[in-house]
Amino acid sequence: MQRRDFFKQLGAVAAVAAISPAISFADEAKKLSGPNDLSYKAAVDAITGGKGAEESSKVNLKVPEIAENGAVVPVTVEVESPMTDSDYVKSIHILATKNANTRCIDVHLTPSNGKAMFATRIKLGGTQDVATVVALSDGTFLTATQNVKVTIGGCG
Amino acid sequence: MSSRKSLIKIKPKSYKDGEIVKVSFMVMHPMETGMRKDKKTKEVIPAKYINSVKFDYNGKVITTMNVWESLSTNPVFTTYMKVNGEGKLSVTFSDSTGEVHEKSIKIKPKG
Amino acid sequence: MKGTIKIVLSLTLLWSLSFASEQFSMSDADREMYAEMLEDNPADIMVGNGSELLEEYCGGDAGLAEFLNVSEDELPAYIAGFPRYLKDFKQVVALDQVLQALMSKNGHKPFALKSSDMFDMGAYAKSIANGEKIQIDVDANKHIKESYELGKLTFEQKRGSRGLSCLSCHSSQVIGSVLRTQPLPDLSAKGNAPAATWPAYRMTKSSLRTLQRRFQGCMNNALLAVIPLGSPEMVGLEVYLTQEAKGFEIAIPGLKR
Repeated sequence: MQRRDFFKQLGAVAAVAAISPAISFADEAKKLSGPNDLSYKAAVDAITGGKGAEESSKVNLKVPEIAENGAVVPVTVEVESPMTDSDYVKSIHILATKNANTRCIDVHLTPSNGKAMFATRIKLGGTQDVATVVALSDGTFLTATQNVKVTIGGCG
Repeated sequence: MSSRKSLIKIKPKSYKDGEIVKVSFMVMHPMETGMRKDKKTKEVIPAKYINSVKFDYNGKVITTMNVWESLSTNPVFTTYMKVNGEGKLSVTFSDSTGEVHEKSIKIKPKG
Repeated sequence: MKGTIKIVLSLTLLWSLSFASEQFSMSDADREMYAEMLEDNPADIMVGNGSELLEEYCGGDAGLAEFLNVSEDELPAYIAGFPRYLKDFKQVVALDQVLQALMSKNGHKPFALKSSDMFDMGAYAKSIANGEKIQIDVDANKHIKESYELGKLTFEQKRGSRGLSCLSCHSSQVIGSVLRTQPLPDLSAKGNAPAATWPAYRMTKSSLRTLQRRFQGCMNNALLAVIPLGSPEMVGLEVYLTQEAKGFEIAIPGLKR
């Protein structure tokens, strides 16, 4: 498959996933996995279907300024949202802009989550920006970015 | 179904019906990227990472995730959920080698 | 005088150690974020596994209490007093050595002190004392007194090609200095009292480690010959640092960089 075709397909799948997070779980995962070398821009295009995402203070991305260990970097994303059937956060995407594969995780939420928050821990290959792209139920996308300095901390 | 060790935590421990609680799923998993070499043998350690996770509450899918190799070893997935009656919360994941694992806990709101 | 010592020490350690103003360190907000990770500590899974292992090989909490000649109610406070001199052992022992003996008594081959099963089981056993304050008594008898003195000596003894001791990086003169973004920790109850928070999940190793295992890692990095787990010197070091942390509340498993 040509690289461009792959991105196109990826964009399409992401859009479908955003409409119905409950669609066949395994199939969706298989299609999205693909080759693990998406650049940051390609990944954002894939997630937003080329629309891009707007920076917003509604998105609170929490990562350490200095990570004491690149193997375990805490990331928390919280989005201001009522999480009702008509107005909710459909998905939270976490991207490590300079990792070999920028995509870390896509989290598809539903109003049943009650609160738009996701937290995990990621590996960072080096100092870089960590970004989140958030898909809202009205079809728009928000984003936030923060730099993380990765150091080799302490002894051993 | 694998016997991999995992844990689901609900916070707070005691909650009411309708309350929004924090849910964490933790699992012992290597999350191998396929890019690391074994220090002794110099051979590439094959990729093995979780690629999808699903939270089910009483048969209703609450959250699904597509996961890549950048998540840390022994990963943690934390989100919220609205308690909606007694029942079961199940977390299922599959990894890049086809391993599947499921962990469940009882949801028992008080009052 | 104090100033002179500081200069000499800083010269000794110049190869890697620099003082807070010279090197960036983490912000309080960053530290708080790492502290919050304790809520979802992967080691909780290992401690859960340890609980199952204790049940299977040692008869659970009840089996351990019986073996130690205390009631189950007394068990948490009793565990908070380890390492101890035990007559049956004729020596000062840490909790993991007690578990080995109990496994053996129950007809099982004991887990090696360095095995992950022992780390898991030992972490669970110590977590029985969670919420208790460390109450080691180094004046209880001459054996534990000797163990404490041996531990203090081991802590202060300069060894290896760099002539470093544990004290080189953990004396009151250098505590707080930043070594590769991390402030050198105060090991006493006034500081972070590691004796109360190990066994812990070590993030750089993605695994559960014990206090004695951490000492080994430290020795290895400082180019000191590594002392075996469970040896009199190692148990002595644990006694010494447990005494330093006396009064600090036990919270197992910890979570470390």
